[in-house]
Parts: sequence; structure tokens; C-alpha cells
Amino acid sequence: MKKMSKLLAMLLAVAMICGMLAVSASATDVTLPREETLYFGGQQWGSVNSWNPVGTNQNNSMAIAGNAGGYRSVMFETLFMFDFLTGEKKPLLADSYEWNEDLTAMTVTLKDAAKWSDGTPVTAADVVATWDVGVLTNNNTGAGFKAYIEGIEATGDKTFVITSKLNDAGQPVNPLKVEDFLTGTPIAQAAWITTLCERNDNDPTKILNDAGEDVVWSGPYTKYYTDDQKVVLIRDDNYWGQDESMWGKLPVPKYLAHNIYADNAATELAFKAGEIDVDQQFLGNIQNLWLEDDLPISTFYEEAPYGVCLTMPTAWYNMNIPVIAENPALRKAIAMAVDYDSIIANAMTNQSPSFSDVPRSLMNPTAGEQALYDHEAVADLQWAGNDIEGAKALLDEAGLVDTDGDGYREYNGEKIHLNAVCPNGWSDWQAAMVIVADAGEKIGVEIVTEFPEWDIVQTRFTDPDQTDYAIFMWSPDSASPSMPWGRCNQFLSSQFVGLQNNWSGNWGQYVNEEADKILAEIPLTTDQDKLVELYTELVKIYLTDVPSFSLMYRPSLFHAVNETVWTNFPSADDGRNIPPADCTDGYGIAALYELELVG
Amino acid sequence: MKGYRKYFGKKLIWFLITLVCAVILNFILPRLMPSDPVSAITGKLAAGMSDAAAVREIYERYQEEFGTNKPMIVQFGLFVKNLFQGNLGKSFSQYPREVSDIIASSIGWTVCLQLPAILVGWIIGNVLGAMAAYLRKGFDKVLLPVSIFLGNVPAFAMSVVLLVIFAVNLKIAPIAGGYAHDMIPNFSWPFIKSVISHYQLPFWSIVIISIGGQAIGMRSMSIYELNADYVKYSRFLGIKDSKIVGYVFRNAMLPQITGLAMSIGTMMGGALVAEIIFSYPGLGSAMYKAVVAADYPLISACTLIITVMVLVANFLLDIVYGFIDPRVKAAQVD
Repeated sequence: MKKMSKLLAMLLAVAMICGMLAVSASATDVTLPREETLYFGGQQWGSVNSWNPVGTNQNNSMAIAGNAGGYRSVMFETLFMFDFLTGEKKPLLADSYEWNEDLTAMTVTLKDAAKWSDGTPVTAADVVATWDVGVLTNNNTGAGFKAYIEGIEATGDKTFVITSKLNDAGQPVNPLKVEDFLTGTPIAQAAWITTLCERNDNDPTKILNDAGEDVVWSGPYTKYYTDDQKVVLIRDDNYWGQDESMWGKLPVPKYLAHNIYADNAATELAFKAGEIDVDQQFLGNIQNLWLEDDLPISTFYEEAPYGVCLTMPTAWYNMNIPVIAENPALRKAIAMAVDYDSIIANAMTNQSPSFSDVPRSLMNPTAGEQALYDHEAVADLQWAGNDIEGAKALLDEAGLVDTDGDGYREYNGEKIHLNAVCPNGWSDWQAAMVIVADAGEKIGVEIVTEFPEWDIVQTRFTDPDQTDYAIFMWSPDSASPSMPWGRCNQFLSSQFVGLQNNWSGNWGQYVNEEADKILAEIPLTTDQDKLVELYTELVKIYLTDVPSFSLMYRPSLFHAVNETVWTNFPSADDGRNIPPADCTDGYGIAALYELELVG
Repeated sequence: MKGYRKYFGKKLIWFLITLVCAVILNFILPRLMPSDPVSAITGKLAAGMSDAAAVREIYERYQEEFGTNKPMIVQFGLFVKNLFQGNLGKSFSQYPREVSDIIASSIGWTVCLQLPAILVGWIIGNVLGAMAAYLRKGFDKVLLPVSIFLGNVPAFAMSVVLLVIFAVNLKIAPIAGGYAHDMIPNFSWPFIKSVISHYQLPFWSIVIISIGGQAIGMRSMSIYELNADYVKYSRFLGIKDSKIVGYVFRNAMLPQITGLAMSIGTMMGGALVAEIIFSYPGLGSAMYKAVVAADYPLISACTLIITVMVLVANFLLDIVYGFIDPRVKAAQVD
């Protein structure tokens, strides 16, 4: 036995040493001081691949990420920061912008104080170079905006003009999308872009794949340490934003750290244990964390829905299936019969307003979007759900009745049989689909649920010719300067019909020429009354034809905070109007300058 | 010697044939999944884009980059060619990271977790099994049901139970990771302590289960051997008990050694559950993420490693058996 013990001890010792050798020892500090480090969860799910803001698919969510709440500007900055609470664009690298009268050119002025990490000023040449390399490589900037932006030209050190792309009628294609460029594009340094292009022989793929280890940045943080378990950013104490014309101070935490957890369950455990300060993940019955578990955890709103709901997970009807395409009454009847209150109470654990509180339209629940349509004009078309008798009457009236007495209605002599699909493991969506199937049962329409794996679902629903999924779930986009136009476009535009690998919108292949006309008119309309009129028309079309129906409202970014170490996070009633965008995204980054240590 | 050469040659030919088949299956099977990983990458990049043509361009660029727009046979040719050059390709899910880089950074964690766990579980299990067979009575009565219970606890259940008891409730073990959440790797005593403390739960979750299985196997083999004719004859000859026990255990160990070699061969895949539950940064976690994301190159590389290790373990075992037990060689050559 003595020999055995020795052997065991030796094996364990070898294992420990090997384990330590397996990780590199490059940084100098062993432990990140807790009172100087803000920990995040739910944003970074794998190792960081690159620090190249020109590249794509870097899997570097802490430093390079465009999100629903605005671009994450901790290391690379945009011209303006988007504030989804107000819809405003707040100055960052740029001070102001101005359209000409016919919306064909926008003049932008940069901030005098804005500087790169190497001390050189941020100039119009940097913006031009960022655009040019975007077009060259067709990265997110190039691919995302070249349909709307003709070019960008420097008119001085600190001013430049963005020219709109024109359509055949000589009008700008979409000025709203041009405004998205201001808040959605990280600006890179022209000198660094030159180096990047030269060392990659101007080869677009090589440029995109360059790891960008030598990158120059303008934001308040930069890379400090990464491995397969974590990414850490460190504050740049020479950050230009200390200037009075910007923040007037440095952000409070010295380090921003994100440990890489295997899944939501592991992240939730760490959040509850106080190892994560800001958590971006859906936590069911979140109120129990403070009401029952007595943990120092809070959300933006003290009461339900706890977060700011910006998007609407939606059930899309597949118009490739004849019984769906040919029967608007069937589409509306199913939508009317669904018990949305049950979905919101069970699937979302009340983290969504109900459709009685915020009647359905094409708008998210924010005040800015709700003001964009005439509520009274569409009131007769809206439904709050669970209206079984109304749905049955609608189907009877449309001639969709049960003729063979099996309890299910027929169309052209055949039983109506549909499936309702969403990815396996997306538990709140799965619960919603079960309730949709129940609604079908109650009105005599057979709906069965199917939950394939995500990698299969995403391949099928983006195929414009698929007939495998009759009703399937997906979310439209949430918030940006071009919303709600962008979301309306996703719900109704025939621009996406027939598009292979369609990740853009209208996944059900719905066509309506009237809607297309209105969608083309809105971006060119500046008169507020006219805008309300146009959006109201769109809502009428949507609620009449029902090409899809939203099942709930939902935050695009979840924002729960554990105040064990840090406090003074944004909350709804604090008068600061900082959006709950995880302290990093869009104007949500303002929170980093306001944090305080507990006690 | 000629017999041995013939035996080794035959084994080597089978080894190579199996390897070729395995490489082909490694390539084909992940690609038979009804999913399109390039579509997933495009979806990630195209979020917020409303220009359909731009999204299409992104999709086609990645198709070209990964070669998924080429016929399967051409893709296979490229795969084999790259394999001979030691190039496992770029990961889809962690693009543009090289697959070899992902494996290099995770394999150390898995080997350090699995190898000692397999060996410790094997040694303790065999010792306990042998003791149960020899001592019988009370020891056996307790050990057998406990071993059956432990050996049949699903790996994920054991991991979750340990996690909930020691990390969540008692708070005496860390929740996740290979080292403390607030540390930067460094060759210092606090960091070493942190690695050791994070090692405990995943390690014991594997060891406890393997002890049960090994103990049951060893106990059965030992009881069989203890009743064999040569044992009775040895006792009849008056040979000392300790000497007889030595003979018995050496014979009983043979199938257990096969089991050990197989465990070592499959250890890369075996760590999956423990690594996922404890967010341990090993190859199991990498493989799980690859499967979920239909990351063909990474799946193929991971399964190739497992295949090669199993084949090598089998091959070496066959060779060693040929020396240890000439009857095996003789039977196979015939």
C-alpha cells in the first residue's frame, strides 16, 4: 500500500505540473484586484481570435462587436454612440453631423480632442481609410453599407462628407441606413490600415484574417490577457476621452474581464456567486434572486419586465405552403387563439410586457417607436390572444371547417396539418411553440411541435424554398438609428424573397407590393406626420395579412448586475438616462464612468 | 522469429486498412449532418444588414474560403493533402483560428485531467476488486453493491452532484474553469494552488465512476482464478498463500490491462462530460462546441485523434500480447 500511495502522489504531482505547463505564463500580475476589475458574463463564449477591427468574425465580443444596444466601444470607437432609450446619437469621435436638403450628402465634424493610442489625432483620413478598406475587403462595413453609401471624402482634417448612393430616380437609396454607419462602424487608424494592407499584399482575405496584434485603438481600454478561459482588457490611462469635451475623466474599473464558461448554467452559477458583476443572459424568474435568495442582484427596472424590451421573437408563416399562403383567415385565427399571457408568464417569466399593455404592431415597446403609428386607427385589427371563439368564427367564415368529424378542419378535402419549429434547447422559445400548438388544438387545426438542433434549423429557415417548417420562430432586429424601418422591412419587404441563405428578413417569403412602396418611401420622409401615416399603413397591412405574429417582447441585451463589489449601475429611476447596455455598448458605456465600489 | 514477423505484418496491414477507413469516415460523417456551417457564420456577420446582395456576397466568400462549394470528392482530396502536410485546416466556429492551435491549447488540459484519473481509478478499482475477491465476507458484501452503484452513475450526474455539494452548497471547491476566475496564469504558488483546487472536482468525478467498474471486473476475474485448478493444485503442493495470490492476480489482470489500454485510447473523448460541466478548458469542451456548431474541421481533427489513439493502443496491445502470451500469436497466425 505504501508503494501505491507513493505512486498516486507522484501521478498527481505530474498532473499538476503538466497542467501548469499547459498554460502560458506571459503576464506579470497573478491576481486581478477585485476592487479594480469589472467581470462580465454571457458575452464571450470562446477564445479571442483577433484584435483586427477591419477583420470579420473575430469572436472577440469584448472588444469588437456590434450589438443591439449599439457598437461596443471599449477599445474601438464609433463616430457616435446610439442610445436606445431615446433613439439619440450621442457624440463620441465625432461632434456633429448635418444632412443637406435632399439627403444626398452628410457632413460630419470630428472632435478636436479625439486621439489614437499612439498620440496622433483622429482625422477625416482615418474615416476615409476605414471606408475604403471596408469596400476593398467587403467586410461588415463594406458589405453592410455599400448599397447605401457612394463614398466618403475628407473635406478637412476634421471634416468629411458621406455621399448617399442614389437610386434610378436620383433619390438617395436609404438615408436611414447611412445614419446607421455613424453608430455601427468602428473607426480604425489610416496609418495602421496602410500597414495592414501592405503586409497582406492588399489581399482581402488575408487582411480580414490578420490577427491585428499591433493594432492602434482610440477607446479607453486595450488588450491585456487572453487564453481559452478568459479575456482581460486593461484601461488606457492616456485615453483621450479624459478631455472635458468628452467624459472629463477615465472609466472607473482598471480591468474589464470575461471568463469563458461552458454554458448558461455555468455562467448563472458564477453570477450568483458574485464572480460576475454584469450578466448578459436570460435568467428565468430573475426576481427570485433578490426576493428569495436575498442576493445583491438587480435589473434596470425593479418590477417586471425588469429590462428594456427592444425586439419581438416572432412566429413566421411559411408562404411556400399552399394552405398557409392561400388562407389569411387561418393565419390570423391561429395568431388570435394563442395564449400570449401564458407565453409571457411561463416562457419569459414575465420579462415582457403583455399584448394588452403594448398592443401588437410592428413596433417594439419603447416610447419613441410607439409614437410612430396611430393606435386608434389600427385598434380594430389588433388582438391580445386567447380568443378561441373569435378564431373559430373566423375559420368557419372562411369555409375552413371539419367535414369528416375527426375534430380537425380541412382545406381542399385534406386535414390541415402544420408543424411549429424552433431550435432544441432554446427553452423559452420551445415553451412558446408548445402554446402555439395548443392554440391550434383548441380551434381544430393540428399543429405539432418540432425542435431540431440549431445548426439544422438555421440551415432550413434561411432557405427560401423550404417547405419543411410551416411555422417557425426567429427574431427581427431590435434597435438602431434606422429602426423601426429596418424591422418593418424585415417583416414585410419582398426584397428578401427568393434570397438564398437569407439572414436578412421576411423568412416566410411574404409579398405585398403596397408594403414595398411604403417601405421605399419611409427613408426619404422627414415630415413626422407623414411618417406616422406611412407606418400606420404598414401596421394595417401587417395586422390584416398576418404574414407572421410576434409571441412576446424581449430585451435584446439582458442586463442583470450583482452589486457585491460594484454599485451605481444604471437603473430606470436614477435620472441619468444611461441605457442598460451592459456598461459597454453604445451610450451604455457611460455607466463605466459612474461605477462606485460598494462601501 | 518468422512467426512473429508474420504476426506483426498481419497486424500492421490491418492497422493501416482500419486507419484509412477511419480517416474516410472522419471526413464524411460530420459532413453528412443536415446543416450548413457557412450559413451560421454568415448569420453572425450579417446581423443588422438589410442589403440582401451583401449578405449573399458574405456567404459566397466563406464558401470559397472553406471550399464547401466544391464537390465532396475534391474537398476530401484537399483534406488528405493537408493532412499529410500536418495542416488540419481552419476552424469554422472559431474562424480564422487554426484547428491545430485549438487542439494544442486544449489537449494538455485533457491529458492532465484524464490520464491520472484513468490510472488512479484503475489502480484503486483493481486493488479493491482483488481485495473483495480474496477477503470476501463483510468487505465484499459492502464493496460489491457500492461498486455496482458507482459504476452505473452517469458521468454527468456524478459531475453535477459533486458540483452542487462541494461548490454550490459547501463552497469548498471552485465552480468552473481550470484556474481561479480572477487570476492570470503565472508560475507562482498561488496560481499552482488554484490549478490544483480547480482540478479536484473534475478529477474525482471521473475517478469515482471508474473505480466502480474496475472493481467489479477485477473481483469477478479474481474469483474465477481463485477457483481454477492450478490454484487448487498449488495449495495441494503446499505453496504459500502469498505466492498463490501473486499467480492469481497476474492472471486476473490480463483483461484489466486490455481495459486500461482502451481507456487510455479513448480518453480524449471520455473527458467530454466532466469538462463541459466544470467549464474545464480541454479537448472535450472544444469537441462539444465543434459538434454544436457543425465545425467539420475541428470535429474531424478531434475524432481523428481519438481514432488514432484507439488504433495505436490496440496495435501496441496486440504486439505486447504476442510476446506475453504466445498462444494469442499462434492462434492468429494460424
